[in-house]
Amino acid sequence: MGTDASERFGLTLTGWAFASGSSRKVAARLITRAPLDGRGDAPFVDIVDEADRVITGAQFEEITIDPPLGRSPRRMHFPDEAMFETDDHEGFRALTGLTRGDLLSHYEAFRPRLVAVVAALVLCGWLLWRYGLDLMVTAVIALTPAGLLGYMDQGTLQTIDLTMADDTELPEDERERVAQIFSTLLAELPPSEINGRDFKLLFRDMERIGPNAFAMPGGTIVMTDQFVEKFPQEDVLAGVLGHEIGHVVEAHGLRQTYRSLGMYFLIGFLAGDTGPIIDEILLEGNLLLSLQFSRKHEAAADAFGVQLTSAAGYDPAGLQQFFREIAKGGLTPPEWLSTHPASDERVEQIEGYIEALD
Amino acid sequence: MSDTSMNVNPGETQRVEFSGNAKEWFGIWIVNLLLSIVTIGIYSAWAKVRTKKYFYNNTSIAGRNFDYHATGKQILIGRIIVIVGFIAFTLLSAVPFLNIIMILALLAATPWLIVRSLQFNARMSSFSNVRFNFSGKMGRAFVVYVLLPLGLYIAVVAVGAGGGFLAGQSGSVAIGVLAGLAVLVILLFAVPIVDRAVKRYVINHHALGTAAFSFDAGLSPFVKALSLALAWVVLVLVVSGVVFGASFAALGDAFSGLEAGGEPTAGQLGLIGLFYLLFFVAFLPAGFIYQALVRNVMYDNTQLEGGHSFRSTVKVGPLMWIAITNAVVIVCTLGLMLPWAQIRMQAYLAAQTFVIPGASMDDFIGEQQAAGNAIGDAYGDLEGVDFGVGL
Repeated sequence: MGTDASERFGLTLTGWAFASGSSRKVAARLITRAPLDGRGDAPFVDIVDEADRVITGAQFEEITIDPPLGRSPRRMHFPDEAMFETDDHEGFRALTGLTRGDLLSHYEAFRPRLVAVVAALVLCGWLLWRYGLDLMVTAVIALTPAGLLGYMDQGTLQTIDLTMADDTELPEDERERVAQIFSTLLAELPPSEINGRDFKLLFRDMERIGPNAFAMPGGTIVMTDQFVEKFPQEDVLAGVLGHEIGHVVEAHGLRQTYRSLGMYFLIGFLAGDTGPIIDEILLEGNLLLSLQFSRKHEAAADAFGVQLTSAAGYDPAGLQQFFREIAKGGLTPPEWLSTHPASDERVEQIEGYIEALD
Repeated sequence: MSDTSMNVNPGETQRVEFSGNAKEWFGIWIVNLLLSIVTIGIYSAWAKVRTKKYFYNNTSIAGRNFDYHATGKQILIGRIIVIVGFIAFTLLSAVPFLNIIMILALLAATPWLIVRSLQFNARMSSFSNVRFNFSGKMGRAFVVYVLLPLGLYIAVVAVGAGGGFLAGQSGSVAIGVLAGLAVLVILLFAVPIVDRAVKRYVINHHALGTAAFSFDAGLSPFVKALSLALAWVVLVLVVSGVVFGASFAALGDAFSGLEAGGEPTAGQLGLIGLFYLLFFVAFLPAGFIYQALVRNVMYDNTQLEGGHSFRSTVKVGPLMWIAITNAVVIVCTLGLMLPWAQIRMQAYLAAQTFVIPGASMDDFIGEQQAAGNAIGDAYGDLEGVDFGVGL
């Protein structure tokens, strides 16, 4: 649109002036006139005090204009670092025309259309939470060196050994038997899914954890003695190992780590100063909501395990058998099940995966 | 010169004026949030600048307001570096040996981050066209932010664990009680010492242009504030012990029942909820009691070169009432009333803050300072801590 040149000459704004680096607030007027060389349509701007003494002046293009922000006084900075401020928003706009930040300020105004902004916010927030974060997480996983993951496994294992695990007491031939199943399963993995990871199976005596197995991002899988003792059947062992290999191949652990980091960054940088109570609610709420991703990953690992075990020649119903036993109760459910879907539900879902195999 | 209209009579108390408006701030806040989410967080750097500018611009003393001068680009660069560093730290912390190095590195980096944060914020803030400055040194920051708290922590753990061990060995309840009291006494004096050291360090190294701030206060008002806070915690625990004593025994059973894998009953869930609520009722108000009283001590004992002094009259009751009702309103409106709550809190704090000028406010002189980087500032945002002393 632009303002007509002549309209910008001979303007007067009243306000206050500050010399560079001085807190002295001087009542002042801004006066515009035609440029010195008489060319162009941008005015020359003078700042004068109440006795009409010139405080500073500059060609309009040399002046830096602060973007508008609500009712805050409008400010402009001169080349000699003097500053002029005024509450005359309309007069200021007449002088400067549309400036950087005017559009933003326009949309920030408290009008009914902000309802649309709120709706867009809810929609975009949901999209970011549901899909956007996953995309970013995938990108960061691709950037994570595979070698580093192996070292991270070692660290996690050290912590486990230090706090809750003893050396395995399984007989040698029993370990050998499970290791054989493990390598049979791995032989079915295409190189693209191994992806530079160093898969290994370790046994630990973990009285307090009970029958359980877990996978670390770098490919280390730990199975408790209690598991092998409780479920010596080959098909069950294969099913659960296949499930854990699924976690590694699809990088579920790393995904959850990066996802929670991502949410932490977003909450930290977007929420701003919310006070101690709301801060707590945001972080805890995020934790609860993120459990659904954990459950989703369990289902995905089940599906992967079923595929892999059947490809390796085991009965994929082994995994199902495991959950059936768990659902029957009598057994203490492993601690990791709390972030997992209900066992009887999984038995049914696995039924679906098995049917889909043919 | 006819610039006297803006001037104040020395000694005449000036109230800090806050002119922020909930409707106006709502519009700015919601647009900030939308743009931040659409840009997967990138705009949040510019949003931060707009937020700070809004609250600074609307805070004034004797007709002169504050301003914030950082650019979104500066903040964004700081945030990107912090994010990359944070991810690297998380991953490397799991690697054997490196994890120990990482923890030591973080301890060493903490004072650097804090000093940078204080410096950046001070140099990017101005009052009446004059920039603030912060000139604290790294060494002293290491002492007040790392060494002193670490010493306090070690003392508490040593006395607590030692006393607990002795009590267990001898089976004597008296020793256990004694150890508990010893921990309480250490906390009662050591926490104020650490807190006062932090406030001294932060305030004494701040300046408005060439005019330095200074702060000193006796330990007793800090101890008094903490005693009142701890007294509240003890009171709540004792009263709830008397009223719900029997239920707590049942709660113990509820927890062991859950560990055994049982399904929690509605009654047990209610008890857990009650326990959680009691925790809030005991510690949250204690935090407000301490903060409110210490804020007053801090302002009342701060001077600005030129004979300017400050006063704060925050009361525990109103502060707590505002904080709690704010939280309730925010939750009930799913966050939409957050801007209203922020304005309400800021208006209260400003109304309880006063400046007693010792001379004309026209005489502050600014100094040119390089602002440094915004890494420390980004780290503070992420961890939700404000190393400064705030208004």
